[in-house]
Amino acid sequence: MRETFLKKIADLHIRRTGFMLAAIVLITLFFAAMASRLTVTMRWSDLLPANDKRTVEFNRIIDEFNTATSFTVVVQGPTTTIKRFADELAPALLQARVENGGDTVSVLSRVDYRAETGFLRDHGLMLVKEKDLADAEEIYTDPRLTSLLANINGSLEKVYVGRSESISTREKEDQAVTMLDGISTLIAALDSASSGVRPTPAAARTAVDGLLFGDPYLISYDKSTLILNAIPTFPATEIGLVMAGTEALQAVLDEQLAAYPGVRAGLTGMMPISHDEMVYSEQSLGYTSLIAFVAILILLIVTLRMWVAPVFAMGNLLIGIIWAVGITALAVGQLNIMTQMMMVILLGLGIDFSIHIISGFTERRAAGDSITAALEDTLQKSGKGVITGGLTTAFAFLTMVISSSRGMKEMGLVTGLGLLAVLCSTFLVLPAFLVLRERRRDSRRGGGTGNQDISFRFLGSAGLFLASRKWLSLSAAVLLTLLMAWQASRIGFDQNYMNIEPAGLTSITLQDTVLAKFDLSMDYALISAGSVEESRQLSGACRDLGSVAMTEDISIYLPSPGQQEKRRPCLRRIRRAMEAAPLPARFTDRDLPALTGEIERLEMNIMEMQDMAFNGGQDKVERACRTLVGTPLAGTPPNRIAALIETLNGKRRTAAAGIDAFQGAFSPLFKTSVLRMANTAPLVLADLPVSILDRYSNEDRSRFLITVFPSGSIWQDASFLHRFADDLERVSPRATGMPPVFRALIEVIGKDGQRAMMLTLGIVFLLLLADFRNIRHAIMAIIPLAAGVVWMVGLMKLTGQQFTVLNVMGLPMILGIGIDDGVHVVHRWVSEGKADIFRVFASTGKAILLTTLTTMLAFGSLIFSIWRGFGQLGAALFVGVGACFLTTVLFLAAFMGFAGNRR
Amino acid sequence: MTFTRSTTCMFILLSALGPRLLQAQAVTAEGIVERVNRVMSPASIYCRAKMTITTTSGETRTFVYDSWSKNHGEKNLIRYLEPVRSRDQATLMLNHADDIWMYFPRTGRVRKLATHARRQKMEGSDFSYEDMGSGDTFVDDFTPAIVREETMRDSLCWLIELTRKPDADISYSRCLMWVTKGSYVPLVIDYYPENDPQTAEKRLIQKRITLVSTYPTAMEMVMRNLGDNTETVMEILDISYDLDLPDSMFTERELKR
Repeated sequence: MRETFLKKIADLHIRRTGFMLAAIVLITLFFAAMASRLTVTMRWSDLLPANDKRTVEFNRIIDEFNTATSFTVVVQGPTTTIKRFADELAPALLQARVENGGDTVSVLSRVDYRAETGFLRDHGLMLVKEKDLADAEEIYTDPRLTSLLANINGSLEKVYVGRSESISTREKEDQAVTMLDGISTLIAALDSASSGVRPTPAAARTAVDGLLFGDPYLISYDKSTLILNAIPTFPATEIGLVMAGTEALQAVLDEQLAAYPGVRAGLTGMMPISHDEMVYSEQSLGYTSLIAFVAILILLIVTLRMWVAPVFAMGNLLIGIIWAVGITALAVGQLNIMTQMMMVILLGLGIDFSIHIISGFTERRAAGDSITAALEDTLQKSGKGVITGGLTTAFAFLTMVISSSRGMKEMGLVTGLGLLAVLCSTFLVLPAFLVLRERRRDSRRGGGTGNQDISFRFLGSAGLFLASRKWLSLSAAVLLTLLMAWQASRIGFDQNYMNIEPAGLTSITLQDTVLAKFDLSMDYALISAGSVEESRQLSGACRDLGSVAMTEDISIYLPSPGQQEKRRPCLRRIRRAMEAAPLPARFTDRDLPALTGEIERLEMNIMEMQDMAFNGGQDKVERACRTLVGTPLAGTPPNRIAALIETLNGKRRTAAAGIDAFQGAFSPLFKTSVLRMANTAPLVLADLPVSILDRYSNEDRSRFLITVFPSGSIWQDASFLHRFADDLERVSPRATGMPPVFRALIEVIGKDGQRAMMLTLGIVFLLLLADFRNIRHAIMAIIPLAAGVVWMVGLMKLTGQQFTVLNVMGLPMILGIGIDDGVHVVHRWVSEGKADIFRVFASTGKAILLTTLTTMLAFGSLIFSIWRGFGQLGAALFVGVGACFLTTVLFLAAFMGFAGNRR
Repeated sequence: MTFTRSTTCMFILLSALGPRLLQAQAVTAEGIVERVNRVMSPASIYCRAKMTITTTSGETRTFVYDSWSKNHGEKNLIRYLEPVRSRDQATLMLNHADDIWMYFPRTGRVRKLATHARRQKMEGSDFSYEDMGSGDTFVDDFTPAIVREETMRDSLCWLIELTRKPDADISYSRCLMWVTKGSYVPLVIDYYPENDPQTAEKRLIQKRITLVSTYPTAMEMVMRNLGDNTETVMEILDISYDLDLPDSMFTERELKR
């Protein structure tokens, strides 16, 4: 049946060449139109099974909570400059617009870069935990500077010096830093005033705000980096808007950066990263495909010693790939991180079919066959192997559709169907090209073939040599396989996502900046809750976990009614004390000793706090103290408090006048601010400002989002990633985000890979059995493949590679790819009557060497990809394809030697 | 901080039980724990130790300090030698660390720490006061049982499970302790938190067990916090037992010396 089919194909090409070419053009145009509708997704969650709870929840969260996927602008530079930069940038960003379905829409609904000071002024003290409120209560009882400083000292001695554990957690360390920042603002204001600079109401406001709720900007601990969270008007699932929106925001940012030469800024967050990964992946795959295309073409021209046939082969391949992409668009509609590589894979594998056909055809023409006879003979002899090899590889890929992960499932489907498309084009397109070319050559030459013998005689000799020393060959093959098996058993699995993500992208580099400057990993987990109470409960449960650094959720801004009730007595005491506290009388130089005494006490308290923080390893607190009192070591920042004391003790009259003016502005403001903050009225959801509600709840305020930050690096230590994901799973089975998704992906891909390998091996063997109808031949063809896989893993280990979630896919893939060599050699050996070993290796050996080299070039080109994960897969398959060629030659030559029919 | 350093002495003592005293006893879980417990309260110790912590920025910081202990751990004094930033800082702990004073040479002040922080993670380290097993905690707060005998780091050990007694005021729900059969030194102790008795929170590993005088002594101790994924290493540089330490050493005035 196959013979009849192939004969008919040959007839069609000989008799109806024009019709075939016209049909090809129409089919190609149709698939090209389909291919243009293909989209791309770069989300890791899209690799998990579609019904995986983490995927479902992740997609729901990014759909419901625009804040979960905000644009993050990271600004770096001098403190005052970046604050000014942010003040100007925020309104400019809000003006950014993009085209959407014919309309122009805003990219952003809001830009958050300052704390909600209005809300904090009204309810700030109600948000403080009872215990912390009790500890800090005295600070809020007297607005006069000397009394205030005495109260700050009292609180510091009680809380930070008196308790070694007060700064032992992330949350407490942050509170301590905020308090020190407030003190720093006050010291700066006092220093300025006592030096004779007339205090302004704004300076008094800054000092009051600094003490009461810290720096309102989202600024790093070292004050060198600032963050703006830009909330989009669309969800991350709107890929077109994500791309256009990112570019619009980047344009605004670039424009403003031109006016601020000392400032550096860039975009990060899920949307910019998706944008960058997509843009750079496309570029990257574009040039890697081009590298592969050119390298393969050059290789074919050099080895086949002709240029027309290789150009035909590549043309045929391009047409096949267009068909494949069109079919992909119809089958799945979207490429994911894994299936993006299909072009390169098809380049490497699809060219093999053409090589076998061209090789057979030119050999027959060189032998003097007519065009018709040469084509019929080629399709009958090489065509069978090409069909078997192509189907085996395609079905091997298609077995991956049994995978539960969408990544592997779609990879199998897309590559399998793609290979079938290229296989079809090889039989429908290439022969027509070859026939046209040969007719033209004949007409020029007036008959005769003129083709030269391009078989690889050295390979024939090598095959004959190995077959004649069958025991030696087999022993060497087995020994090498055992050595590789030992190496393979020692290979590790790299679970570090950072090692597979694209290198050098600004959006990704800025994630590290955020981690370094804010001590916050952007690889956080997300949990959604059905109510504020549930959010509070889940957030609290997460904070109790050792693997969690901190959480963010709406309960920070909305204490429960019970908590509010407990805080009210303290707030009432504060109100009573503050209402009763007199505003200061005129400050004179007679008041200076008391003030100076408290400032000296403050200096000592901060020094002691700093020493404890240094010994305790609380670097953020230590650094905050350092900006106030320096260190005992030389070359450290100056002791600003000592400098203030010196100023106060120097020009006493000037200092007293300055302090009097400052106190006159500061104290009334401090008093009214505290009274306003100590609001005892019940706080309910509706009281929260929209920016806070939007940040933590969905549009109809029915669901609430909890962000959970890990306490360690989830990528540097695989066991920590598992622990963090397990801990969250125990708190809520709905936990999702990058850590749970990636952990799940590692597990799912691992299981899928094993299952796909076993099934692929079974199916490949059945196909071989059906093709050869001889179990010994089927076993003969599959043994080099099995050994080739072992060699591949062994060589990976020897070349310093490890498995990753991407290159582990190379194992089932190599089963489909590597089998071709054995199939073609065994086919040729059988068709040569199991006799001419020299001919088998000189001719088919040449073809499989060429296909091996072209496939290696295609996969090798992935090494130049910006996606390090693609490079790792390319490197693994590069090694694997080469290994399969070597095992095929070694094992099959020995087996043929044992068959005893060599010549 | 100072509590952290003081644990060195406690751990040294933990491994310093004279094996001769143990030979005649019948082997029961209670008996083993009793023996282990005794090593925590030798009469007096002096040691110089090095401790490396991981700071919140992920950097490592190493301290060297001298430490003295008297009356079976009831009085402790610690004085820092390195780094320069911490030199001469000192901590005095009396009444089994219920009363703590710290001396800061930079300000010349002595401050009494107000809070009893037994359950807190001690500053910068992965040790807490409870981890020291100070006093008789293993005997008083836990019910012991021999799980099995097994080899741990090439030494035949009793694996002892310590389950918290119902009214015990201790944060761990249970501990697993691998005690060497020859010397009664616990090589490894796993600590399980109150809220999850199945997942170990921390692991103490005692290494380089060396006989000092008549006491088998762990010259290196590693406390791994399995939840935070951090670890603290303590290394003994010099140690001696059974010294005659005057009471005057353990006073507020002596802190300022």
